[in-house]
Amino acid sequence: METVLEVRGARHKYGATQALDGVDLDVAAGECVALLGPNGAGKTTLVNQVIGLLPAGDGEVRVCGGDPRVAATRRRLGVVQQALGFPNTLKVSELVTGAAVRAGKPRAAAGPVMAELDLTELAGRRASKLSGGQKQRLQLAMALVGDPRLLVLDEPTAGLDVPARRRFWQILAERRERGTGVLLTTHIIEESSAVADRVVVLDRGRVLAGGTPDELVARLPDRTVIARTGLGLERLQALPGVVSLRTDGEHVRLGTRAPEALLRVLLAEDPGLTDLRVEGAGLEEAVAGLIERGAA
Amino acid sequence: MSAGVFGVEVADELRGIVREPAALFFSIVMPVAFFALFVSLFGKFGDGGLSAGTTMIATFGAFGVISVVLMNPGLGVASDRERGWLRSKQVSAVPIGVTLAAKVVASLPYAAGVIIAMTVTAALTGALNAPLPALLRVLVVLVVGALPFALLSLAVGFQVGAGAGAALLNAVLIPTSVVSGLWMPLDIMPAFFRDVAVFLPNFHLSELARAQLAGGPVLTHVLVLLGFAIVAAVLAAVSYRHARS
Repeated sequence: METVLEVRGARHKYGATQALDGVDLDVAAGECVALLGPNGAGKTTLVNQVIGLLPAGDGEVRVCGGDPRVAATRRRLGVVQQALGFPNTLKVSELVTGAAVRAGKPRAAAGPVMAELDLTELAGRRASKLSGGQKQRLQLAMALVGDPRLLVLDEPTAGLDVPARRRFWQILAERRERGTGVLLTTHIIEESSAVADRVVVLDRGRVLAGGTPDELVARLPDRTVIARTGLGLERLQALPGVVSLRTDGEHVRLGTRAPEALLRVLLAEDPGLTDLRVEGAGLEEAVAGLIERGAA
Repeated sequence: MSAGVFGVEVADELRGIVREPAALFFSIVMPVAFFALFVSLFGKFGDGGLSAGTTMIATFGAFGVISVVLMNPGLGVASDRERGWLRSKQVSAVPIGVTLAAKVVASLPYAAGVIIAMTVTAALTGALNAPLPALLRVLVVLVVGALPFALLSLAVGFQVGAGAGAALLNAVLIPTSVVSGLWMPLDIMPAFFRDVAVFLPNFHLSELARAQLAGGPVLTHVLVLLGFAIVAAVLAAVSYRHARS
């Protein structure tokens, strides 16, 4: 399958801070890859390299085989950035038509994309007057009108309600079927789990892990035992079957692959145990666990 | 890069100016209004050659075009940068130089409009006594000669916000224009004004324009403006590389 994004050994420093330290990443045609990690992990720096705003240090970034810092390569790239403010003076139709011409497409390409994103009725409205959800749809229309091979989405559904979010991903699914690759950064981990084919976890400028959401979840405990207990953290860590330990306010969260055995010991050692519950571990737990392990 | 893409960029900029003309109101109406006041008071004076009103087309005209190109592209860039729109342009398939050139080009019709409005005002008050070819040369000299000021404007726009940029650019424009004799003739100003003026591009632009009407050497003025253009281009390039996001 064609690779629409290749990142090899990407590095970047801000002063003494190594924001990226040898990151490798691929996105195939039609694939959706979610980039996850805490604030300061290097996600924004990597995205800026992919969209051509930053050089890749002594590494290499290729979009459809070309350097994204070259304008011609960016014809194959569509970008949806978070919190974009549109000029006060331009109308929806002018922005989408302009995006089509800039991407080398005819002006007429704007109409179908506006219809696809339910923007036709808003065509004559100033973009700055649109609601948050309408602005996101407009950005997506401007990104899609050039028929890009790679879409880079930075928190694309922030501020969208659930139906708008569903519609957003439905439109993207149709584009992916036609071969558009997607690189997504989001803080909504459940969303990544639902829409991404692969997840790449970044922390402190390095790739900690990568794989399908199911693969990442399988690497970590499949149950989380949550409780209020008088036992000390050291003792909790030593309990049989505990593979991860986090505190969450007055509760502790114990990751385990053997919840039954752990519960028996826990109840025996702490008769005053309260608020006990057992949850299935999801992608969020897996990512948090990976980052904790990476930090350890 | 096709002409169509450049056309879209210029059209967007012109729409921005036409639909939200408040910024240009001060940079166009103010110079023309001042010109109208001065030309109605002193326009018919002269020493037998050019009338004061005709000479003022070169001097006030220089102030007018500098005012337009200094305010418009830079403040536009500053606003675009603040709202994230400049970043959106940077990641589009259009080289950023084309976008910036469009901002400058879009301000030129307004610069020409200032000169035309001043010329018409001088004619209506009976203070115009220069042939049309000379006036056309003044128009071309002032509009083309103002381009380096647009680069300076961009350099400021990459670094500060629109509000601060307007204050900063006015703080540059008004004193340098007064010292360069663009508002009142240097002959009636303190002598040290001329000593300072020869180092200012505003002065050389107005003198180059005046030479189209009254004759006189132009090489020094052209060289100074070329030098200023190079310095302004370097400043704009450095400022862009270190632009605040």
